[in-house]
Amino acid sequence: MNDQLLSAVSQYGAPALFVVVAIAAVGVPLPITLLLIVAGSMVAQGAMNLWWVIGAASAGSILGDQAGYAIGRWGGRAAVTKLSRWFGKGVDLPAVEAKARAWGGPGIFLTRWLLSPLGPWINLASGTASYPWRQFIFWDSLGEVTGAAIYISVGRIFSDRVMAMDAVLGEVTWAIAALLAAVILGYQLLAYLRRAAA
Amino acid sequence: MLVLGVAFLVAITGTFVFAYRAGRHARQIRSANEPIRAWMSIPFIAHTRHVPAPLLFQAIGVQPEPHDRRSIRHLAHDLKRPVPDLMAQLQRAVDTAAHTPSDQPR
Repeated sequence: MNDQLLSAVSQYGAPALFVVVAIAAVGVPLPITLLLIVAGSMVAQGAMNLWWVIGAASAGSILGDQAGYAIGRWGGRAAVTKLSRWFGKGVDLPAVEAKARAWGGPGIFLTRWLLSPLGPWINLASGTASYPWRQFIFWDSLGEVTGAAIYISVGRIFSDRVMAMDAVLGEVTWAIAALLAAVILGYQLLAYLRRAAA
Repeated sequence: MLVLGVAFLVAITGTFVFAYRAGRHARQIRSANEPIRAWMSIPFIAHTRHVPAPLLFQAIGVQPEPHDRRSIRHLAHDLKRPVPDLMAQLQRAVDTAAHTPSDQPR
């Protein structure tokens, strides 16, 4: 499956990328980071136009995210539960909704590119929690354009090392996510110790 | 308190483990060659392995065409040949080219 997607992007370029990222944004698990790095490599090879690729990747992702938001908003929890079963992922929707409310706009922004596995669930939860659509599309667009520009640029710079860069970025993403968790937990731990001492 | 402390330690450990693994992969970037995969096109392999694309096209008996972005899987289907055979042949052509000085543009 992944091979066929990579072949399609390699052969048909930006239109194929647009379709694949839109499908992934709804929640289908696809290797989007690798696809964007490969697209960046093809830009470096002169086979694709940088702005077309960034535009296609951003537009596809935003479209898929909007579909996820709409499913959550108008389909409600029943539709989201059904969708999560289709993709074989049980999701604790109230917990994701609580996270979506607590993180707000910056949460939407970061789950577009840094904590991207959470992105589709934040879309659905933002919809079910009736997060304001204008704010959602603002943070969503900002995050998707940032993510597309970063990964495509990485692919463009390291155009002859796409597989290796995908492995590095995968580890870096998890390291940053763990660091963010450590900072938040450390802050909470410190606050708890201060309260206990007072 | 205990749960918070344990979670904090797990997060710190995770940060170091993933950062170490990222560093290890990053060190391999310079030394390891990009593997040939079935989804790659001939111009893509030529670019990642720094060999002329026409040489790779010739190695598998296909007329060199700069805009031919068919994947190896697609080419194997068109040539009615098994994908692993074609990949092995391309790997041999890449290895040969790497040991042969060439004046051809890359």
